[in-house]
Amino acid sequence: MALCAKKRPPEEERRARANDREYNEKFQYASNCIKTSKYNILTFLPVNLFEQFQEVANTYFLFLLILQLIPQVSSLSWFTTIVPLVLVLAITAVKDATDDYFRHKSDNQVNNRQSQVLIDGSLQQEQWMNVRVGDIIKLENNQFVAADLLLLSSSEPHGLCYIETAELDGETNMKVRQAIPVTSELGDISRLAKFDGEVVCEPPNNKLDKFSGALYWKESKFPLSNQNMLLRGCVLRNTEWCFGLVVFAGPDTKLMQNSGRTKFKRTSIDRLMNTLVLWIFGFLVCMGVILAIGNAIWEHEVGTRFQVYLPWDEAVDSAFFSGFLSFWSYIIILNTVVPISLYVSVEVIRLGHSYFINWDRKMFCMKKQTPAEARTTTLNEELGQVEYVFSDKTGTLTQNVMVFHKCSVRGRSYGDVFDVLGHKAELGERPQPVDFSFNPLADKKFLFWDPTLLEAVKVGDPHTHEFFRLLSLCHTVMSEEKNEGELYYKAQSPDEGALVTAARNFGFVFRSRTPKTITVHEMGTAVTYQLLAILDFNNIRKRMSVIVRNPEGRIRLYCKGADTILLDRLHPSTQELLNTTTDHLNEYAGEGLRTLVLAYKDLDEEYYEEWAQRRLQASLAQDSREDRLASVYEEVESDMMLLGATAIEDRLQQGVPETIALLTLANIKIWVLTGDKQETAVNIGYSCKMLTDDVTEVFVVTGHTVLEVREELRKAREKMMDSPHTVGNGFTCQEKRPSSKLTSVLEAVAGEYALVINGHSLAHALEADMELEFLETACACKAVICCRVTPLQKAQVVELVKKHKKAVTLAIGDGANDVSMIKTAHIGVGISGQEGIQAVLASDYSFSQFKFLQRLLLVHGRWSYLRMCKFLCYFFYKNFAFTMVHFWFGFFCGFSAQTVYDQYFITLYNIVYTSLPVLAMGVFDQDVPEQRSMEYPKLYEPGQLNLLFNKREFFICIAQGIYASVLVFFLPYGVFAEAARDDGAQLADYQSFAVTVATSLVIVVSVQIGLDTGYWTAINHFFIWGSLAVYFAILFAMHSDGLFRMFPNQFRFVGNAQSSLAQPTVWLTIALTTVVCILPVVAFRFLKLSLKPDLSDTVSARLSAWGWDPVSESPRARVPALRAAWWSREIPPPPLCPGGSGPPPRGVRPRRGPSPPPPGALQPAGEEEEGPAPLHAEARPHQLPPLGLRLRPPGGLRGAHHVRQEHAAQLPGAGRLRHALRLRLDREPAQEEERQPGQPPRQAPEGGAPPPPPAPLPADSGPDRAQAQNQKQKGPRLGPPLPCPGPVGRLKSLYFFTPSDPHPRGREPLFLNYTRMYRREARDLLGLACPSRRVRLSLICVCVWFHFVFFIWQVEGASERLLCCRRGGWSTGGYPPPQPPGCTGWLGWDPCPGLRLLVGPWGWWSTEEDLVPSESPSSP
Amino acid sequence: MSQKYNPITWRTKMKKTSQICQSKLPDNTALKQQQLPAYRLQLSATGVLSGFFATGAFCLGVGIILILSAKSIKEIEIKYTKICANCAELREDAINFDKECTCSIPFYLSETMQGNVYLYYKLYGFYQNLYRYILSRSNSQLVGTDLKVRLYLIWYNTPFFKDQSHNGTPIAPCGAIANSIFNDTIILSYNLNSSIHMEVPMLRSGITWWTDKYVKFRNPSAINLSSAFTGTAKPPYWSKPVYELDLEDTENNGFLNDDFIVWMRTAAFPTFKKLYRRLNRVQYFIEGLPAGNYSFNITYNFPVTRFKGEKSVVLSTLTWSGGSSLFLGLAYTVTGSSLPGRNYRLSNNC
Repeated sequence: MALCAKKRPPEEERRARANDREYNEKFQYASNCIKTSKYNILTFLPVNLFEQFQEVANTYFLFLLILQLIPQVSSLSWFTTIVPLVLVLAITAVKDATDDYFRHKSDNQVNNRQSQVLIDGSLQQEQWMNVRVGDIIKLENNQFVAADLLLLSSSEPHGLCYIETAELDGETNMKVRQAIPVTSELGDISRLAKFDGEVVCEPPNNKLDKFSGALYWKESKFPLSNQNMLLRGCVLRNTEWCFGLVVFAGPDTKLMQNSGRTKFKRTSIDRLMNTLVLWIFGFLVCMGVILAIGNAIWEHEVGTRFQVYLPWDEAVDSAFFSGFLSFWSYIIILNTVVPISLYVSVEVIRLGHSYFINWDRKMFCMKKQTPAEARTTTLNEELGQVEYVFSDKTGTLTQNVMVFHKCSVRGRSYGDVFDVLGHKAELGERPQPVDFSFNPLADKKFLFWDPTLLEAVKVGDPHTHEFFRLLSLCHTVMSEEKNEGELYYKAQSPDEGALVTAARNFGFVFRSRTPKTITVHEMGTAVTYQLLAILDFNNIRKRMSVIVRNPEGRIRLYCKGADTILLDRLHPSTQELLNTTTDHLNEYAGEGLRTLVLAYKDLDEEYYEEWAQRRLQASLAQDSREDRLASVYEEVESDMMLLGATAIEDRLQQGVPETIALLTLANIKIWVLTGDKQETAVNIGYSCKMLTDDVTEVFVVTGHTVLEVREELRKAREKMMDSPHTVGNGFTCQEKRPSSKLTSVLEAVAGEYALVINGHSLAHALEADMELEFLETACACKAVICCRVTPLQKAQVVELVKKHKKAVTLAIGDGANDVSMIKTAHIGVGISGQEGIQAVLASDYSFSQFKFLQRLLLVHGRWSYLRMCKFLCYFFYKNFAFTMVHFWFGFFCGFSAQTVYDQYFITLYNIVYTSLPVLAMGVFDQDVPEQRSMEYPKLYEPGQLNLLFNKREFFICIAQGIYASVLVFFLPYGVFAEAARDDGAQLADYQSFAVTVATSLVIVVSVQIGLDTGYWTAINHFFIWGSLAVYFAILFAMHSDGLFRMFPNQFRFVGNAQSSLAQPTVWLTIALTTVVCILPVVAFRFLKLSLKPDLSDTVSARLSAWGWDPVSESPRARVPALRAAWWSREIPPPPLCPGGSGPPPRGVRPRRGPSPPPPGALQPAGEEEEGPAPLHAEARPHQLPPLGLRLRPPGGLRGAHHVRQEHAAQLPGAGRLRHALRLRLDREPAQEEERQPGQPPRQAPEGGAPPPPPAPLPADSGPDRAQAQNQKQKGPRLGPPLPCPGPVGRLKSLYFFTPSDPHPRGREPLFLNYTRMYRREARDLLGLACPSRRVRLSLICVCVWFHFVFFIWQVEGASERLLCCRRGGWSTGGYPPPQPPGCTGWLGWDPCPGLRLLVGPWGWWSTEEDLVPSESPSSP
Repeated sequence: MSQKYNPITWRTKMKKTSQICQSKLPDNTALKQQQLPAYRLQLSATGVLSGFFATGAFCLGVGIILILSAKSIKEIEIKYTKICANCAELREDAINFDKECTCSIPFYLSETMQGNVYLYYKLYGFYQNLYRYILSRSNSQLVGTDLKVRLYLIWYNTPFFKDQSHNGTPIAPCGAIANSIFNDTIILSYNLNSSIHMEVPMLRSGITWWTDKYVKFRNPSAINLSSAFTGTAKPPYWSKPVYELDLEDTENNGFLNDDFIVWMRTAAFPTFKKLYRRLNRVQYFIEGLPAGNYSFNITYNFPVTRFKGEKSVVLSTLTWSGGSSLFLGLAYTVTGSSLPGRNYRLSNNC
């Protein structure tokens, strides 16, 4: 591949002269050759290595490697570091090389595409890479545009051509480009060859929709705009050929300028990990210093005297220097606390999780054939911590499929259907749609229900006709007519398409357009309008106009646009009409429809001519052309006559309300940021259940000035504070950020509020002095809707939350206007839908429907977070357990940096023996099945609170690691100090010790990973057992005779494994170490599970207790009745307070007409009021009835238990009436037996909707039932009947096992339940059906007796030995004893029988007399 | 090219065209859908408590057995550094290396030591586990292939590899370990009565690991040993060259000398005992060592007072598990007895 580019100074201005290569050469513009690859064969190794060593971790290990090459420092063989390092570097290099290979391939393919270039008066085939700036090239239909071209001429009249820009901005509709008139005549080659115009234009930039420049030709200047440009990456369509002048080539093209590197996002775990790694480095240095000091002291005290046997190294002249060297040696040895494999493994795990997202069939959209895609592979665990979701509305929450729904023409509204009684008809009762058969060109798919509009058209109402004429003229839609009468519209926005289609069906068929004309079939007759000007749409103008001359010669301007803009520019005479239309507009917006206002204006000939002149001048301007054009447009678009308004329905996507409800339950706050107007946005808010009737008050901020906005925000805050509902539900925030003063007050606000803020108010609210106020208010609200926001404001809002809340934010959107928000948020999600792929390209994850967000967060995100946390905990644990052993050994080997293990073991520990099981856990682990995490959204909370891996958890796993290292070292030490082999030889040789410690370590960490793995798939089995097997295989291989014979100096441990592992003592030591290391962990977990379980424990415990098959959910074989009884804790709550359905809460906006439930809908809220509410966390009545049902085991429950309702008013600080009822899950010990035999269980049979009145006991609960009959017969005990104050609507919240429940006695039920459960199990285990007090006492006695016996036994053994040495025993009787064995060195570390250590502290016998060793006699 | 471009646009295009014919629906396999059949690990009360009980019972059982067997071991240890103080003093000074010093330590054995009896020497404060000490050997020399230590990649100047006083003649066996070999001679004699002192028959073979004796240590092949070792020097602290370690038994001479091999297996901790001799159970000693008066006759060569160490001799019997100390048994017992306690605590919520 040719070398493409050299460095050039930045350009100020670009000049390119056609057909003059020599002239253009001197500017040295980049050629059209592109290069996206990074390396070639020669540079790959050095450049790639250089890049890799820019990673801190890699450099660190390189540094260690260099340290190891210094002989005085080296304490390990070089390969212990180089093997992992090379492995890591090689894997990365291979990945980079493959990537680059594909880049080379695609570069080559692109660079070698052929194009026809006009050279020396003739067309020649050239490769793309040889095209130069200033060349004229010819494009043919369906060809890719080779460079950024100035369109000169085309096969179509007026130099028109059509392009598809899918590759550039993802929009698949066609766009028109037009050559400037002077060049459009240059159709043949000879004239083009003589063309010598010079383009002077802006330097290369990445703005796709802007271009400013001018063409100088024949001493005149012609302005150029983006309309004249063909950009690289576009495809020519529907145009036979065209010629273009290359302006930007290769890397200067807008396409390449746009493909910059995206900002690299890091997750919070990443940052935490980096901090922790730094801490560990600190810890490492501390250990190094301690050991170095130890070494200096030792060398000074002991080493100097030991020099006879081992002289100091020549370089070492003092104990101090020796200590200094030993510091570095220990840095090398102990570096494994931060293993290089950490970073690699984390990447591998994340990659695995990304693949799981890509492979997920449940996130695959059949209709669009789009799978979900994880475009960034490094953010997965952050998906499990999201707290704020910022969503776009159009296309994200809605389908972005626009349907013309209603309209208002001259003050009359059409579209509603009334039944005979004059009531608005509902969807189900609608009559037949309007019959458009009179119109052969009608779109069959278009449906409209109000026949009056068609009648108005048919009777020839001029306003209605003008209305539809406007719709058929004022747009930028392209039409395509493949066969006669088969029209296809290609619209840039779906709104336009919907409007033009509506006009088509009502008899104003837009047929075709040329640059100068538009042909419309008006009620069957073709009319051609002369198109004088298009005043195009943009985000600031928010309107578009066309100026046309009709066949009669009258000039008229047609305008359609947003109501806020357009209503201000109407002629004063239309005031009355304006009022009615505004009413209609409000009504439409209230129904969640998108509205546009239509207006027209007649222009007289002279005015138009004069205006056209000014427009031309403005468009020729070099500087601030946009502004000047805008003001010219503004001038003509004034004093218009109102024609009417349209209302387009944008349907909600499937599953949106459910998703939002679920995410809200998961404590994720959803903010909608939309460009729509307030009413539309609020209504969408209602229909997607963000706003519900439970919302106490919706604050609307619409102030236009700073003061107004501030005042409105203040009022909102005051209302929230003053409200009587001050029972906190802000426990999560308080727990997480107790120090944050800013939010602490308002986050405690109970009740549900919503905030709606307008774009112009938001601009003020986002100013520096008010942003905190705004944030505080907004965060206290349950739902926030920002309407009429600009893309920039979207990003600002996200940035604000990101900056001040320290929470993980997720932005989801589908259009180009969401790109900035997507890029700003921690996680950006793109909806691959209607509006092109720009959002997707900027996003980290993409899928095609909003509802997949719940799966992405609650299933994939949650698992990723869980797995990553478990992985990190275990990883740090295993490495501390591994490394700290060296630290302890330092105290016994004169701090000489001797390792405990064989060097091969050190090399392989992290990369072979322990890497795969933890990787498998990190990739596959699941705590609860995926369905559960959707059913219990509260399971998502630990991620948000960052509970699973934080500094505290880190210290716990570090402590566990150190604990394990102490045992792994000191237990073998204690054993080996005195023991001998069974053939009498010494056992305490270094190599046996090394093998014993290494083996017990590997077994301990393997058992530990087995405990940590919650989900044992075949892969986990394979890896865990495989790792153990590989350990022993490698151990025996390394210690084999064969290897030793070949390399006697490398494999020093010959025969060691065989002879050490044949010793029973060694195995007993390993077993003991394992037991002592693991059992406390098991006990601790078990206690935590029984005393303070988190929700996921509870859920998974339930599963196992019910014996559910995780996949099919079918009940397995019969569950033991007793267990079922323990677990059955759900019965429907007792009937709620009479009069429960109170009046709707104050301040709630009443719904304007019932909105049709979305497909797949929920039960109407009313139904649930009678039925018992399902048991789920923070249940709200409209949400997901199946949630509750899931909690019941299929087949019904065999036991019942007591549910007591309490009124919140009785709780301290209660006032939260809307959350008045709590279900306290409180079981008395013999609860389930209390049920009368005949009394039915209070549970629904399987699958039932809200449980009906009690049904008979399931037959299979035999034992339970029998037991129940033996019990005292008592009625089910309900809580005390409570007074029911006013507006308790329905059961609002059920406190479901949340340990963080703010309930003053919140933990009590939980605690009781669990301890009781285990008590029962223990009881069962002991075979005691129901222990009475007497039985219990005797149990205790037995236990105490056991303890006592062993205590005495141990002490006796110890004292006997002691006595023996006091009286000389069988040691040296008869002679003056020199020093009795077992009595020496009572104090200090001297390896003595463990009995002193263990018995001594008890203080029973260690009197002073005993502790003083007897005088040792002198030698004879 | 100064700027790095992201090729994503081109690549997505390529992908699009290539996948157009096949459906993009991901495969419905258990792995890809994360539905691999799996066992969910749950800490159930039954499992945990019964596990605890079982482990506790196991530990208790093993602990009791170990303690019982440890108690059956008869062991006697005599530190002789101070008893032989005069010899120790003599050895303080290296000049007296050729002066012989012996020392007799009488003691009384009140009970018979049944079965096999092993004689150990035990060193206190001798660091055989220093990093440089452990490295200071050449295995290729000790297998007889590289007698002159040419192959050994010496990272830096290791002591006792070349004899400095003899023009750098390679030392065999080289290194600090070999050089510092324990060279006291210990002879146990049984004093049947005041006049009859008989030497207790001891075996000097069978005190090494099989692999050490038959794989790790080999003499260089030659007609006789002394010629094999020509061109090498004896270690500086040795009184006689390696091929004269045991002139009576060729199988025990040179690198194959059992005492040498035992010494070369370095100890893990600064206090260690190494097997010196085994009781040859013949005549009087067929049952073991009978009770009575004994004495150790020690030729005191190995200086320990320089590094403030101590030496002792140990006579000991063994059990099935070797010479296990009380520590392991006690540790098991404590673990085992604390487990029921834990169970009890967990289950006493009644």
